[in-house]
Amino acid sequence: MIQTMLSLVLRAVVVLVGSALVTFVLLWNAPGDPAMAIAMARFNAVVPAEVVDQVRAEAGLDAGFWPAFKAWIGPLLVGDFGRSSVTGREVWPDLVTAVGYTYPLAFLALFWGLAIALPLAILAASRPGSVLDRVCVAMASTGAAMPAFWLGLLLILLFAVKLAWLPAMGARTASHIVLPALTLALGVAASLTRIIRSGILEARDQNFLPALQRRGVANSAIERDHVAPHAAIPVVTVFGLELAFLLEGLVMVEVIFGRPGLGGFLVNAIDARDFPKVQAVVLLTAIVFVAINFAVDIFYKLLDPRMEDRDA
Amino acid sequence: MLEIKGVSVKRGALVALKDISLSIELGKTVAVVGESGAGKSTLIAAILGLIALSGGKITWAGGPVRGIRPALVMQEPRAAFNPDLSLRQSVSEPLKAQKLPVDTKRLAKLCAGLELAPDLLDRKPGQVSIGQAQRVGILRALITTPPLILFDEPLSALDAVTQKRTAQLIADLQRQKGFAALIVTHDLGYACAFSDEIAVLRAGSVEETSTPTAFVNAPETDYGRKLRDAAVSLGALERAS
Amino acid sequence: MRSIGILCAVFVSLALLGPVFAPYDPTAINIPNRLSPPSAQWPLGTDALGRDILSRLLHGASWSLGLAFVVSLIGCVIGTFVGLVAALGGKTTDWALMRATDTFLSFPELVAAVVIAGILGAGTGTLIFALCATSWMRYARVARGIGLSLKSRGYVIQAKLVGLSPIAIARWHYLPALLPSLTVVWTGMLARAILGISALGFLGFGVQPPMPEWGTMLLDARIHMRSTPLQMVWPGLAVAISVLAINLCGDVLRDRISADER
Repeated sequence: MIQTMLSLVLRAVVVLVGSALVTFVLLWNAPGDPAMAIAMARFNAVVPAEVVDQVRAEAGLDAGFWPAFKAWIGPLLVGDFGRSSVTGREVWPDLVTAVGYTYPLAFLALFWGLAIALPLAILAASRPGSVLDRVCVAMASTGAAMPAFWLGLLLILLFAVKLAWLPAMGARTASHIVLPALTLALGVAASLTRIIRSGILEARDQNFLPALQRRGVANSAIERDHVAPHAAIPVVTVFGLELAFLLEGLVMVEVIFGRPGLGGFLVNAIDARDFPKVQAVVLLTAIVFVAINFAVDIFYKLLDPRMEDRDA
Repeated sequence: MLEIKGVSVKRGALVALKDISLSIELGKTVAVVGESGAGKSTLIAAILGLIALSGGKITWAGGPVRGIRPALVMQEPRAAFNPDLSLRQSVSEPLKAQKLPVDTKRLAKLCAGLELAPDLLDRKPGQVSIGQAQRVGILRALITTPPLILFDEPLSALDAVTQKRTAQLIADLQRQKGFAALIVTHDLGYACAFSDEIAVLRAGSVEETSTPTAFVNAPETDYGRKLRDAAVSLGALERAS
Repeated sequence: MRSIGILCAVFVSLALLGPVFAPYDPTAINIPNRLSPPSAQWPLGTDALGRDILSRLLHGASWSLGLAFVVSLIGCVIGTFVGLVAALGGKTTDWALMRATDTFLSFPELVAAVVIAGILGAGTGTLIFALCATSWMRYARVARGIGLSLKSRGYVIQAKLVGLSPIAIARWHYLPALLPSLTVVWTGMLARAILGISALGFLGFGVQPPMPEWGTMLLDARIHMRSTPLQMVWPGLAVAISVLAINLCGDVLRDRISADER
């Protein structure tokens, strides 16, 4: 067990270093002179060559790939995300502010998504193959095919433009979170419904359940003790994927609804070619991702030590 | 020709083969007998170079065994063929690998010798009987006339009648072609009836080697005696004596 | 397999023939008739520059679907190659390649594609690169998993023994066995590619105007949401229907394959 844990930790570390390297390779290969881009962005005007050279030296850009990588990753390792190349402000506080807008949205979407998916899936699985089941599955399939940004626009059209019930743009009041959360929740619900439904069906298919029934164990007890835990396994397994899905949706939805969260932060930073901000977002998502997958892996191993690696 | 000298194989902490020495001349058959788990399959994998040796040396006429492209006839005849390809494609694979043309006349003659209908080769492995599949397996082994053929439990998947016929076929073919054969089997009766030398394998090492007659009459070790007595009580050695 | 054949045929023909059926030039500007409602002359109306929306939608098919096709195929080739090398190479190769796969999987696909396209500069080439770089990993995992299980099969050992070259072994023994599973993954990735292309287009990092890609069209339509809301419906509908059709085919295919294996 300890050995498995250690190998999982080693994997997580390797993946984190790898993702930092990939990020840096990308930044290194960005078109144009990065020093010039930084200098122009910072001074917002035509800059003399010596200023560009100074910027180049500051950022460690003139020493070749590996020294530049070392100069780049050093501060990151101690949690220093540097300063914005546009405003000169520190990235970290701005990032924290953005995350402050994003995580309530993410949790609300996840919660609502589950609240929609769970009853739908139980309803659908209660009579597999029935009209009700097919309607639920069809709804889920349609939901999964809808691009999040389009769904968001349609919701704005209906609830903000036509009915004028809810505000659409920005994040000034609490009600501003309803439409973006709903957009994401519908997407989450679409994929969760199918997974939970097939999880329940598979769990009911376990070959020892009829024996329990014959011995007079109550159906409710069977559902609670044998079906529900078994059906939860696939849900946990796809949690990492679900989170990826949610993060992608978040970026799009925050842009559409003009929320000053992580998505808007990222897109604005890319538009301004503000690389310190971009890399901060990228590394943060990678860390969150690796952490979640690490947790899922460990949960998986604890659940059943015999189970093979998920990637096998 | 085939020289196995002091070969050991370790799998993790487990010693699968311990200081094995054997040799086979052209035209001769050595049967390696032993219970399951004695290391018979490991020995085959070692000879074919599929696993690394932790000690010792395996050579053919002083050179590497892989150089003469030894053939292998497998225990599960159907699994030895790609289910998506016709048997003809699988059988001509060894030729294709050496960029040799398919000699149809020779193929027909080999088929006849193995009692295989010529059009059988156009079927897929799932469409022939296990006995037929095993004979096609032998056909594939013979197609490039290798000087050494290894048989890994060649009869164990077959029924009794087919077993006898296949064993006889292998023996006849060997007399004609003169290749060296190593047969790995747990069937002592088969080993005694169709080999020139018997090696008893137990827990990864060779317990004793002798001629079939000598082994049937007077095994040298207690384990050999136990094996023989078990076979006798099953009536398996009638063919040999 | 037949449903996949039909699907491919429909999509390829839509991507190739869509422009043929288009009644107008998709980039022809017609300011006097801008933002017209649907009519006999313009079945789906016109956009802010007076361009015929139906024509743009049909031309957009070759961008959205055609690019998705290309991207998912390139991803499939790269991923299968990486997966097979991992499965057939030694333990170290396997470990290194799988950690590389994990690394690329540790960024959400779309976020990574946005970052790549954004940093390298918007354009069709970058778009293809960005989506390929973020989509090969699933194929790699599937190819490796099946490759490892094939490695110990009798016929693969036979092929190795007779000295068949690794390329020939891959061609004759690995690829045919991989094909069904890879096709299922491919349908899923094709759907994701369509979503990804439209999302990048919508953010302005994808196919550049005036080319009529569906996501880019949504970006244009969004500004005129209040005056001509229908304009915003069509491109999104086209994306959703394409993705739905592909996903359904993928489901059918997956059921068929698991039935075959049973």
